[in-house]
Amino acid sequence: MVVIFLTGTIRGVAMSTNTIDSVDVFLQGEKEPSGSWVFIVLGLVLSLSFLVLYSILYPGQDLPVISDLMPVFKGVFDSGIWFFILGTMIGIFAILGRLLLEATSE
Amino acid sequence: MSEGIIMDTILSTMFYFWITLFVAYFLMQRGLWIFSDVAKGTASFMLEKALGPGADLVEGRPGAGARSWIMQGALWMIFASMFTFTSMWLTHDPDALHSLASWGYSANADELASAGVYATLYGTVSMFIIGCSFHIIPKLAGTELASETNANLVSFVWTISVLMLIIGSQNNNILGIDIIPLGIALNNVLLLAVIMNQLLTVANKTRNIAMPGWLILIALLSSPIIAIVSIVSGAADDNVGQWLTYHIFGGTFFFAGVAGIALYASSIASGNPLWSKTLVGVTLIGSIFTINPFGDVDGQMVMDAFGPLVDNNVTSFTNQDMLSASFLMALVSIPVLAFSSNMLVTMRGSDMFVDDPDASGNAELNLGSWLIIPIVIGSLFVQTDTVSGTNELLGISNSISVMAGWLVLVPLSLGAALSLYPELVGRHLFSPNRARWGFWMMTGGAIFGLSITMIADFMDIALTELSVEDPSSLSEELRKVGSVMFYGVVIGSILHALNMVTGMFRGDIISKKSVRNSSISVESYALVSPTTIRRILSSGADLDTEVIPTGENDEKGSATKL
Repeated sequence: MVVIFLTGTIRGVAMSTNTIDSVDVFLQGEKEPSGSWVFIVLGLVLSLSFLVLYSILYPGQDLPVISDLMPVFKGVFDSGIWFFILGTMIGIFAILGRLLLEATSE
Repeated sequence: MSEGIIMDTILSTMFYFWITLFVAYFLMQRGLWIFSDVAKGTASFMLEKALGPGADLVEGRPGAGARSWIMQGALWMIFASMFTFTSMWLTHDPDALHSLASWGYSANADELASAGVYATLYGTVSMFIIGCSFHIIPKLAGTELASETNANLVSFVWTISVLMLIIGSQNNNILGIDIIPLGIALNNVLLLAVIMNQLLTVANKTRNIAMPGWLILIALLSSPIIAIVSIVSGAADDNVGQWLTYHIFGGTFFFAGVAGIALYASSIASGNPLWSKTLVGVTLIGSIFTINPFGDVDGQMVMDAFGPLVDNNVTSFTNQDMLSASFLMALVSIPVLAFSSNMLVTMRGSDMFVDDPDASGNAELNLGSWLIIPIVIGSLFVQTDTVSGTNELLGISNSISVMAGWLVLVPLSLGAALSLYPELVGRHLFSPNRARWGFWMMTGGAIFGLSITMIADFMDIALTELSVEDPSSLSEELRKVGSVMFYGVVIGSILHALNMVTGMFRGDIISKKSVRNSSISVESYALVSPTTIRRILSSGADLDTEVIPTGENDEKGSATKL
């Protein structure tokens, strides 16, 4: 991406152009574009559709839990709550990691 | 127990509470006569020198105390939401955490709900109230905090006391010692240190403290006062007194405290002057003289807190009790409406502009100010139902109590903390976008999760009334959906905490120009350079503010005579 700064006088005689080669610079806006909501809603609708499809294809069967996906955890992670607990642990460790990283960085 | 004595429990306890609070207020205004200097010196010594080497463990830079309390409050918010979520899940799936039994821990929905309440009230809301107060009171008093070191150190010990309460909620008796009373005792000792710190700050005031400051001070003082009054008057010995003590504590410490910091923050966040001083006064008086209906329908927490100091003489509300309790609870609509209207008009502003509509904390403050009215009405119905002995709405009491926590107290206190964050930390939050996501996740999760759970509660109530023995599978499904939706609150808490922690290191540094002052007590405005009327009004000036031009002298200078 090329960012161009234009500096001119009223008469437009003196004008300089500075360019910055920002190949490695990642840019992200803070303002959320209104169009992005469409995709979030679409994602939600798709998720719900798959859940409905699951209940039609496998009637009466609960959603798989961690121990179904990884039998080594049989008898430990036998409930869906563990998805949520692990998610929270990731969040807590992200905060701890950030604290340690910032405290030890120069 | 005779009817007359029971009636005395409510009215006499409230009477003693009002008198003691009035005496405390009088002493704060008038001082301790010839003992004032001695008391100041002693308190100052106890806050810093008496701590010995403990004081060297923490920093005492300006703002360090408030910052420490608020950051720990944000971290407690994650655990508070997680405990609440887990208890909601275990309500419909009691064996979900059975694997933890191999470690000797058997998870129980009621005990986890109790842990969630302690973490929410004592960990999150209290820490935000006290943290914000360490910034607000010195600002309003026009002085520095008496001891930043003490404020900072006490925050860490407070965290230990909250940890003790959570452990106690899971197993109250360890090695023959009751853990919850111990945690509450430690908590009150720490609160005394906080009060001494604030009173010493007020003693050094250079101007009159604006009304929101008094709301905070009364909130802090009310906690030890109601504890002492409740035990001395014997109110804590029966269920009526325990119920009353619980609600006076909730109405003064939590409601008045949250109202004080939120009213101050509404002006900071919007850049508008606080709308009405009279309405703040009504909020203050109303929080003391009425019974706040937020929270549980029983006084179990008070009995747990006082432990061996109280008995459990079960008594029910008499007709006279019902009358006085219902009347005092109905009156709570006055301070609540006064608070809500003052907040909303202040944030909207009188001239239809807000200095920075995207400022962090604005959304949370708005949410809490709107939702306090329907939730207080709902709580009023539930409490009146309990007081009258009807008990038809007992089934939804827990849901509405959690709503009061996560849709009123937490948003208002978090909003105030986020509004003060830039001035305390010297940097903005790391990402306004993440703060926005945090707000929507928390709000959506709490509103939908708890509303759906409440619908399930109503279904269960209806089935119980019809004496249907087979539990409804639809109610269970709704509880599942409700608990999963409440997980949004956990995600929102993590986003907020991560944003605040990262902001301390990488947030944009605030410029002096962007630091907003409270607009509560601006009596004069120093005009040093050409500016707009909008900016003068945004800083808190009103039509009575004196604008003083501070012009530069163009006269030729000369050498200074020595």
